[in-house]
Amino acid sequence: MSQARDAVTAPSPLKQWWLKWRFHLNILLLLIPLGFMPKYFADAKMFRGESGLGANPIENIAVGPWSISLSELLAEAPRQDGPAGYFKAFNASLCSSCGSEVKAAYLRIGKPRSLRAAGTIFFGNPHRMSTSLPVPARTRADAELWITLEGWDGSLHQASVPLAKASPATLAWLNKQGGKP
Amino acid sequence: MAQQSKKSKSRLWFLVHSWLALPIWFFVLIVCVTGTLAVVSQEIVWLANPDVRASKPNDDAERLSFQQVLDALKQAEPDMAVRYISQPDGSHFALNAAVTFPDGTAPILYVNPYTGAIQGKSPDFNFEGFTRALHGWWLVPFTNGYSWGWYLVSLLGLPMLASLVTGLVVYKRFWKGFFKPTLRFNHGARIFWGDFHRLSGIWSIWFIAVISITGTWFLIQALLADNHITLSTEPITPVIAREDVPLSDSKAPVPRIDLDEATRIATTQVPGLDVTFAQLPSNAYGHIYLGGRGWYPLMFQTASVNPYTRKVDASFLVGDRSALEFVTESMRPLHTGDFGGLAIKLIWAFFGLLLSMMVLSGLLIWTKRTAQATAAALKRADRTPRATKVTGEAATEMQP
Amino acid sequence: MIFKAGRLVLPLLLLACAGPALAHNPMCQCEPVDGERIKCTGGFSDGSGAPGVTLDVIGYDETVLVPGKLGDDSTLTFKRPDGEFYVLFDAGPGHVVEIDHADIGEP
Repeated sequence: MSQARDAVTAPSPLKQWWLKWRFHLNILLLLIPLGFMPKYFADAKMFRGESGLGANPIENIAVGPWSISLSELLAEAPRQDGPAGYFKAFNASLCSSCGSEVKAAYLRIGKPRSLRAAGTIFFGNPHRMSTSLPVPARTRADAELWITLEGWDGSLHQASVPLAKASPATLAWLNKQGGKP
Repeated sequence: MAQQSKKSKSRLWFLVHSWLALPIWFFVLIVCVTGTLAVVSQEIVWLANPDVRASKPNDDAERLSFQQVLDALKQAEPDMAVRYISQPDGSHFALNAAVTFPDGTAPILYVNPYTGAIQGKSPDFNFEGFTRALHGWWLVPFTNGYSWGWYLVSLLGLPMLASLVTGLVVYKRFWKGFFKPTLRFNHGARIFWGDFHRLSGIWSIWFIAVISITGTWFLIQALLADNHITLSTEPITPVIAREDVPLSDSKAPVPRIDLDEATRIATTQVPGLDVTFAQLPSNAYGHIYLGGRGWYPLMFQTASVNPYTRKVDASFLVGDRSALEFVTESMRPLHTGDFGGLAIKLIWAFFGLLLSMMVLSGLLIWTKRTAQATAAALKRADRTPRATKVTGEAATEMQP
Repeated sequence: MIFKAGRLVLPLLLLACAGPALAHNPMCQCEPVDGERIKCTGGFSDGSGAPGVTLDVIGYDETVLVPGKLGDDSTLTFKRPDGEFYVLFDAGPGHVVEIDHADIGEP
């Protein structure tokens, strides 16, 4: 048992620590899914739409003859999607009577220059739709979130809400960025 | 001398093999067990929940078309929006209809394919989703790109591949085991589990190779996606241009073709397209997206039908894949075994169970061996008082 | 998410996972080349290119100064117009990226 003798002469602290704790790795690894389980079920509930529209909802924003409710998916700062920049997920629902009249809904930071540049389109259905809004890092803290609704008959209606109200976490993120380009 | 070095090399391989999974054996075991469950999770739900079964009202009942199902759903729940309808693999499963109710809740409804009746809705606890999430990413949420749990689990593909290779190196002339299967029951637990480990090991060579290689692919897939690299040759399907959507004379939506018409157009224009799912347009500028398994069962074929112009704006068939995609796209179904109906799933589940047992038997062999080695070392330690308690620990470390 | 909305559905159907879809957001970058020209590159955040997609250069008065389509390499190079303008990468309704002239620096 030459190895054994070596171990007697030089049991380094690291090795002793490893010998003592190596099987406890299993426990640490098991704690991971246990710890994330509440979050997993909360997320599953959210994706089933049972936790409401989202965080910080703004109900019944009047947009011309229609109205829409807007809510950020999560109360958190925008997430980076690699080279495409930062995005913020928003959910929306149309008023029950206007669902069939609205052809498309768009969201943009700042007033759109044209219908072509109305921003990002919502996916889904009038009861629950979502979109991924690009948030430029140089967005000003007092920026407005513009909603454009396009009717099947070609009519257009717009409304705006303060970004700070729709997503306080985004505002905090912008302030932390310090208006960096 | 050469003999000596060969022997010590084989001993080294033995040590590597013994230690590959050991410190995290319970993690590996749970991943194997949850993977096994995930393979047959759909069938487990089928057994447990009558709502997901496609029961025939009478012997000569015919299956409804997707549009007939959609009409039945509309009649039952006029205010509900339908996102997609899909037929799970196997005609004994009810149709899945993803819907959204006016209150914003978005469950899956189980719909009878013969009558269009809503048999039930997805329960709050999604057994399939849970086992897959536990197996696939250890429940660690996806926040930015792939979850680190995904990396943690998919990294196991590498030691698994290594334990296959070292196991075969250590098990000299393993092919003999095919002709002379040995499983000794009467020589104590240590011998039995050793025989079991070797016997199930050689019969699982192909399965361990498949699972470890495809598991490693999941690691590569995450690395590629998180670095914004795509291997896909799927053509870009432009959303429908604003000019192509006619304006309505009234406030009501412009009529769009129904699912059956879209299916008819797609299957006549795209030869070989089998439609087992239909996704409704996700907004006014979206396509009807149809698809199903191709002649190569590991891949799906799809078509995007423009609901205004009736044109097939895009399709992606088995033959459109690049050689590389044939390999990479085959990885996921090879891992999950969901490409050939119940038979393949049961084979995957059986070998998954065997693999879980191999983790356990490997551990049992190790503890028995180590217990003996430790006892032997302690005995020696009694005789030579100079050696301290550490000797026992060191023996535990070094004995295979 | 954008063009390839369809592609996302399959993994979701197959895995039935509650995990979020990994998005394919449109992206466009413009940079000045050799003093008076601008080169714009379009694509998607998953790494896909955008050959053939419309890219217009539009004045602040909404007149289209340079109507264009991205080439096979997903780029378009054009002469920098005078005055104020913006670049619109237009992959269809609601699938746009706007770049203001002020954000395209001098070489």
